[in-house]
Amino acid sequence: MAHAGISISLEEFSARLTAAVARHIGPPGTIFDLQRLTGGATKSTWSFDADVAGARNPFILQLASSHSPVPDPLAGITPHLTAEEDARVMIAAVRGGVPAPRVRAILGEPDGLDPGYITERIPGESLGARIARDDRFAKARSVMASQCGTILAAIHRLDPAELPFLTPQSAQQMLAAQYQIVDHYGFRLPALELGLRWAAENLPKNPRNTVIHGDFRNGNLIAGEEDGIRCILDWEIAGIGDAMYDLGWLCVKTWRFGGRNPVGGFGSREDLFAAYEAASGLSVDPAHVRFWEAFGCIRWAVICLQKGLRFTDATEPISIEQSAIGRRTEEPLWDFLNLIEDRA
Amino acid sequence: MPEIKPAATILLEAAVKFLEEELAPTLPAGYFRFQTRVTINVLNTVRRELELRAAHAAAERERLSAMLGRAGEVEEMSAELAGRIRDGGISIDDPGLRTHVRQSLADTLAINNPKWVGR
Repeated sequence: MAHAGISISLEEFSARLTAAVARHIGPPGTIFDLQRLTGGATKSTWSFDADVAGARNPFILQLASSHSPVPDPLAGITPHLTAEEDARVMIAAVRGGVPAPRVRAILGEPDGLDPGYITERIPGESLGARIARDDRFAKARSVMASQCGTILAAIHRLDPAELPFLTPQSAQQMLAAQYQIVDHYGFRLPALELGLRWAAENLPKNPRNTVIHGDFRNGNLIAGEEDGIRCILDWEIAGIGDAMYDLGWLCVKTWRFGGRNPVGGFGSREDLFAAYEAASGLSVDPAHVRFWEAFGCIRWAVICLQKGLRFTDATEPISIEQSAIGRRTEEPLWDFLNLIEDRA
Repeated sequence: MPEIKPAATILLEAAVKFLEEELAPTLPAGYFRFQTRVTINVLNTVRRELELRAAHAAAERERLSAMLGRAGEVEEMSAELAGRIRDGGISIDDPGLRTHVRQSLADTLAINNPKWVGR
């Protein structure tokens, strides 16, 4: 079995994981129901239960590859945290009152596994389409936009000094990164160029720079039918930037998963902004957030583009799922045009 | 040489029919059912591309010709337009540009994901 670059048998992997649980969390660490949830060339997510002092505990294991199979020419354009940094952000988030997975172990060399960490496993729904559209989430939907506002205010209150490894990125730098990716592939699309120019001509004047999640959206959270948001996931591109980035990204149409409401398909901008204002004591300028929603459309279009063109670099083997995402580039470009023409 | 039969679009329809009606229903929810759904969508996209692309390209070529004031091929004219947008040679608020971009996006979406327009 090859996982994230290291070839060991599933048996050996399980044995090392047992030892890691025993070492970091508590003995005996016996593993049950080990399942790979997601996997790629550079990282994988596993679900498992483990016996800790006689009680069966649910866990998640995140592993990052310690080496990339092929050098990625665009590595570093979007700052990715290491597994340890990712874990430290979540620890700081929990300390700051943000619902994030509780880190139970950060893996080290003696564990004989790739860099990674173990967190508790939170029950609930993580599929965006279900949260946005299933009848059984109607009650949750009615509170989730407000919950997002409160949670984001707490994230933006985190102290950057405690997380010195986070990379600051201004709007200008983020925009330059998009040009860099587009030019790497020599891709020339008028609709995309229009979006990039629009962003360049409308950069926000007075950003409030804070810790930002970077990928805060429906699809990266766990929700319950009765209680709404239980946990925010996927902290690995957290950074320092314009706080409104997170609110804008959350409103991008793709993350509504077919739901009718602008915030994640589940709620209104009014609820999001009101809760954010109440929790932060600051006022939200809807036009400022609209810039980041528009920029979010362009950024997602560039990500789709990248997934569709990466095979040309041979940085990844061809995959039906990734190449299908490549065909989604025009969706956010259409949404962008409607947004700036007030046809959204 | 006579046309190849069945048409490529028919082959794609047949492939989708097999996956959707015979294979997918046997699969439990999870990785393989999801990937099968993705594959079905991709095959439908290719079929729509074969059916629609030529007409779209012809229309796009006419629009680009009108905007650039010259004849040419779709790819290179579109690349030139992209360059003009980037370097400010054309205003992003130009109504003709907006109409062209909107139509081009609508055409591409008709191939890649017809449900997205009007969502």
